[in-house]
Amino acid sequence: MLAEGLNGFLGHSALIVGLAASLFGAMAMIAAIRTRNPRLVRTVIPYGWLALVAAVVAVVAMERALITRDWSLAYVQKVGSYDTPALFNFTALWSALEGSILLWLLLLAMYTAIVMRRYRARLADPAVGWALAVMLLVTAFFFMLALGPTDAFREAAAPNFAMCCRGPNPLLQNHLLVMFHPPILYLGFVGFTVPFAFAIAALVTGRVGEGWLVETRRWALFAWGFLTLGIVLGGWWSYEVLGWGGVWAWDPVENASLLPWLTGTAYIHSVMVQERRGMLRVWNLSLLVATFSLTILGTFLTRSGVVNSVHAFSDGTIGPFLLGGFGVVLVVSLALIGWRGDRLRSPGAIDSPVSREGAFLANNVLLALFAFVILLGTVFPLIVEAKEDRQIAVGSPFFDAMTRPIGLVLLFLMAVAPALPWRKASGELLRDRLFWPAWCGAGTLALAVGVGATGWAPLLAFAFAGFAGGAAIRQLVLAARRQGYRGLLGRTNGGMVVHLGVIMIAVGLAASNSYTHAAEFTVQEGETVSFAGHTFTVVDVYDFSDERSVGIKADISIDGGQAYTPAISKYTAFGMDVATPSVKSSFVKDIYLTVENGTKPSTGTAKLKVFVKPMVMWIWIGGLLCGVGTVLAAFPGRNRRRPTDAVSAPVPLEEEIAGV
Amino acid sequence: MSGARALQHAKRWPGWVLLVLVVAGLLAYGSTKDVGARTPEERVEEISKQLACPICDGETVYESRNTASISIRAEIRAQVTTTDAGDDEIIAYIVQQFGAQTQLLPRASGFESLVWVIPSVALVCAAVGLWFAFRRWRTAVDTVPDEQDRALVAAALAAGDGAGEAGDDT
Repeated sequence: MLAEGLNGFLGHSALIVGLAASLFGAMAMIAAIRTRNPRLVRTVIPYGWLALVAAVVAVVAMERALITRDWSLAYVQKVGSYDTPALFNFTALWSALEGSILLWLLLLAMYTAIVMRRYRARLADPAVGWALAVMLLVTAFFFMLALGPTDAFREAAAPNFAMCCRGPNPLLQNHLLVMFHPPILYLGFVGFTVPFAFAIAALVTGRVGEGWLVETRRWALFAWGFLTLGIVLGGWWSYEVLGWGGVWAWDPVENASLLPWLTGTAYIHSVMVQERRGMLRVWNLSLLVATFSLTILGTFLTRSGVVNSVHAFSDGTIGPFLLGGFGVVLVVSLALIGWRGDRLRSPGAIDSPVSREGAFLANNVLLALFAFVILLGTVFPLIVEAKEDRQIAVGSPFFDAMTRPIGLVLLFLMAVAPALPWRKASGELLRDRLFWPAWCGAGTLALAVGVGATGWAPLLAFAFAGFAGGAAIRQLVLAARRQGYRGLLGRTNGGMVVHLGVIMIAVGLAASNSYTHAAEFTVQEGETVSFAGHTFTVVDVYDFSDERSVGIKADISIDGGQAYTPAISKYTAFGMDVATPSVKSSFVKDIYLTVENGTKPSTGTAKLKVFVKPMVMWIWIGGLLCGVGTVLAAFPGRNRRRPTDAVSAPVPLEEEIAGV
Repeated sequence: MSGARALQHAKRWPGWVLLVLVVAGLLAYGSTKDVGARTPEERVEEISKQLACPICDGETVYESRNTASISIRAEIRAQVTTTDAGDDEIIAYIVQQFGAQTQLLPRASGFESLVWVIPSVALVCAAVGLWFAFRRWRTAVDTVPDEQDRALVAAALAAGDGAGEAGDDT
């Protein structure tokens, strides 16, 4: 077994080797492409594997340091402790900036190796070669970050246990979801590097047709799927850990994850217009560049300390590096798009705005506007501070007001677009195809009003959700009738399953944000209070303690049945209170219980807060459906189209132009 | 008239007119329905969601559990239960008492108004841009392929027949 002090040496060595391997690999690939030397191309493969091995060794060295409590490393002093349970000690790797960059690096090196393996027979193709070179350069950038501004293996003086070694932030050692949410979110963030790399390769080689889109569509789809799951799991974590009863608060870190999701969503829709009609080439390239850049910008905004967030868990000096990286990506991409401007002109044309491509365009404009509003709201406090030297906050009231109308129009488009044919739709066709979905919307609205829902915005959301759900189910039923179970496969039909997931999330958010009831009670042991049609009996109020925390728990029986146990824990090392809610979940509503400060076991008094939140479970089921739909969309359906099939707009014959 | 023909007929206009009437009626009823007065707790909640915790990292007073937020919530509760002030007046009072950094909704005047104006301008620009794009596309076909172009495409397709990889469905 290695001595503990070797972890730092091992980590640093791995990072240096990884940096060198990815830089040499990128240079070798560029040289091979320029000299058209296939033997040189083969030399890139070991460099790619070496970079992956280096990233794995660095992560293993850090995990080993955390597990063995190697206090010689500053990062272990920052996030390690003797009291942290094994699971949270393992996840402490990504509980602060330096370790998060190591995780990012590992996933990036994995993606690079998978791309290299997947295209091993075509590495001599300049488009594939440039894509791999770009990925290796991005990997080198992250190795550089991990060696410089976010050095996780920096040595530290002997620890002063009175001041250090308290373990990860209490919020990150409180729930199992911390094991899954960050890695899955990062799989999404990092995954968009692959389509971005192929886009840059297409620009460099001038092969800006539809070939690179076909190559990267599954990569983009999986990255989008992971990002969606990661965001939904983040909402779940917030719901289960933060104790305020909500899933989304428009916090800068949340916004930073939503920005690439919005541009990525726009991309996976507009890419179909390019494949089918040969249009929107610049737009699609710009969306991919935006998606990748926004992952970097989001990381800069939230990890550099320029904006404050409860989820940031960092105060690093990484800012200038990430901002520099963001600038380089933007300048290089825009310069390449400008350089290839002549080849990017669309050969196609849109016949009518009332068509599938017209709906995709409208959806893209709305998603881009959505992203712009969120970016503006997130950075606006910085702009005001720079201009007027005063601090302001831009929070959920602003984001709710601005994004609600956009969300409603997007839901409406989700209802109409699946019924629209490519090129042009007639009024008769639309009246026929949309009839039953529209009545689904009306039925949903009637049901909502019937159960007491009020307010124009949530009612409109339910109506459009019913409409969109009807349209998606109609499409799936028609496809299943034609093709059996294969009717669920393929991009269009898998996409409809994703639509159903997004609709469930929208309904869950609209209902839980609009119709939550909450109340606070001070109740003695044995007493019962009633609220929102339920009774709450305080069975017991008691103190508890473990290695990390002391706190108070209350056993609360809901409707005379099972007892639920909300708690407040004071993490002694941090002096920080963490409220752990206890939730009775069902498909219709959640009953969310927290105990508040003022609860006293000595007198048997519980200060209880009760939230009755409708349809929260729909958000989690919707997230799961999005994941399932993404997988279904990645399988080819029955009507497979070869990349060489005509996809651009049909060109009219001379006689059609002259004669008609 | 058979059932299928009646349905086809309904899908033309009558069914749609009925649908619009039903939806409009339900929306009008649902959005104007009197839901009764809000409880003091619900008012405290709504107001505290509109205010930022002055010493936190981006949390609202509603979410935050620190002492500053607890005292602001207590102040809001006192205002709600002991005065006749409306929600906006209470928010203005809290901002005055606890500092401008508690205001989560940017003002609609001065430099801050830009955060409202810019998205509106962007929306108008996007709509105008889309309109021009559609107009340009609808009149965009200005080149006609000649025989040579067609032969080139046919040759490329023929050459690609054997080498094509699995594509996708749309």
